[in-house]
Amino acid sequence: MAFVSDVVPDKELLARHTQGDPHAFGELVQRHRDRMWAVALRTLGDPEEASDALQDAFLSAFRAAARFRGDAAVTTWLHRIVVNACLDRLRRKAIRPFVPIGDDATFDSVAPKMADPTDAHGVSLDVIAALQMLSPEQRSALILVDMMGYAVDDAARVLEVPPGTIKSRCARGRARLVPLLGHLRNRRANGIVGDTEEGGGEST
Amino acid sequence: MNPAHLDYDTLAELAEGLLDHEHAASANEHLDDCAECRERSAELADVSRILAEAPAPDMPADLAARLDAAIMAEAMSSSTVTSLTHRRAGRRWQILSVAAASVVAIGGGVLIGGAVLKGADSPEGTAQATPPRVADPTDRGASEGALSSRSDRSGYPVLRSGTDYRSGTLAERLRAGLASPPPPGGGAAPAELAGCVSAVAGNRQPYLVEVARYEGAPATLVLLPAGEGRFDVVVAGPGCAAGRPDVVQRLQISR
Repeated sequence: MAFVSDVVPDKELLARHTQGDPHAFGELVQRHRDRMWAVALRTLGDPEEASDALQDAFLSAFRAAARFRGDAAVTTWLHRIVVNACLDRLRRKAIRPFVPIGDDATFDSVAPKMADPTDAHGVSLDVIAALQMLSPEQRSALILVDMMGYAVDDAARVLEVPPGTIKSRCARGRARLVPLLGHLRNRRANGIVGDTEEGGGEST
Repeated sequence: MNPAHLDYDTLAELAEGLLDHEHAASANEHLDDCAECRERSAELADVSRILAEAPAPDMPADLAARLDAAIMAEAMSSSTVTSLTHRRAGRRWQILSVAAASVVAIGGGVLIGGAVLKGADSPEGTAQATPPRVADPTDRGASEGALSSRSDRSGYPVLRSGTDYRSGTLAERLRAGLASPPPPGGGAAPAELAGCVSAVAGNRQPYLVEVARYEGAPATLVLLPAGEGRFDVVVAGPGCAAGRPDVVQRLQISR
């Protein structure tokens, strides 16, 4: 198989898929599934739910490919389908009851007690747990903009709301996260005292 | 000037440029004078940084496999072309499992084992699905032009030895047998045997066909000249018939 070097553009793959190429869509999925998984897991906060949502999303994308409008990027379209699959799931199942902000006892029960600031997995879990305290709308906006690095306008296209709405959701979400992520901030600040570089996480 | 501290919401909206001009101006003025609010503002900026730096979770391997399978299934059910491929692949699995049930530990087992792996790892590989290659009809046969006269296929000698060959000593015993000249080329082989030999040999002209046993089961051994005193030996199992080689063992020996 010598097609490693010639990269087919996403749109071309999608076009081949709609023309009946049985392998095109699978390749598209393999190309983007890691990012889509990150979005789904962070949105839903639960690996089982996220797995199901991702499968639903890819299958509905498979079937809806003919309706893809060529003016958007394929990734924008895919993100939209994944986010919508997650939000649908949240609405239908109400997986996690909403927790009022400031309820420290509840948050402590969700957030792992971390010992090591370099524990990447722990940080990842903490962040995911904190995100679940936001409204789904705020969460989706922050995941796309702050975590996935989307420009506000691109996130607006994914979520199909005006850019101003994205900004507002992000602002509100960040404000709510300050007390929930403070422990990560302090840990890190302690670790880099006297040094602007990330110096191996040694804390003294 | 402005004694009221700024809350996180206001600071976050200020940072996003969401405050109206007047409100933003007074907030900035307050920030100039208030270290406490500047600290809060820094906390907010850190939220974005922490989010950006949070390690991306790895997709579990079983989920990746599940997604591939779900999409493959969808692709098959939504296309007649691919569902044909699917059926063909399924049939091939049957053939392979029959072969696997027979003795395929050595030699030819490598080829068949490779096909199994290919089928399992890359379902897309089945798009060009062909039955497992057995007789290798063209490659080496090309040098045997004089012998692979395609119209004269029934002219091979058939030896009904009944010998029960074992995999460990098969090559050795055949080599010994080759020391003596082959029996005279018989007339037409029985139809059943001819079909089997034809399935195994393809276009090549057998040097000798031996009706015997292999590892205790009835077997047909087909010896095909491979040039320079070498022979490809194909051991076909009891299921061997026209269009169905039922290969249980392949090897090459030299005289």
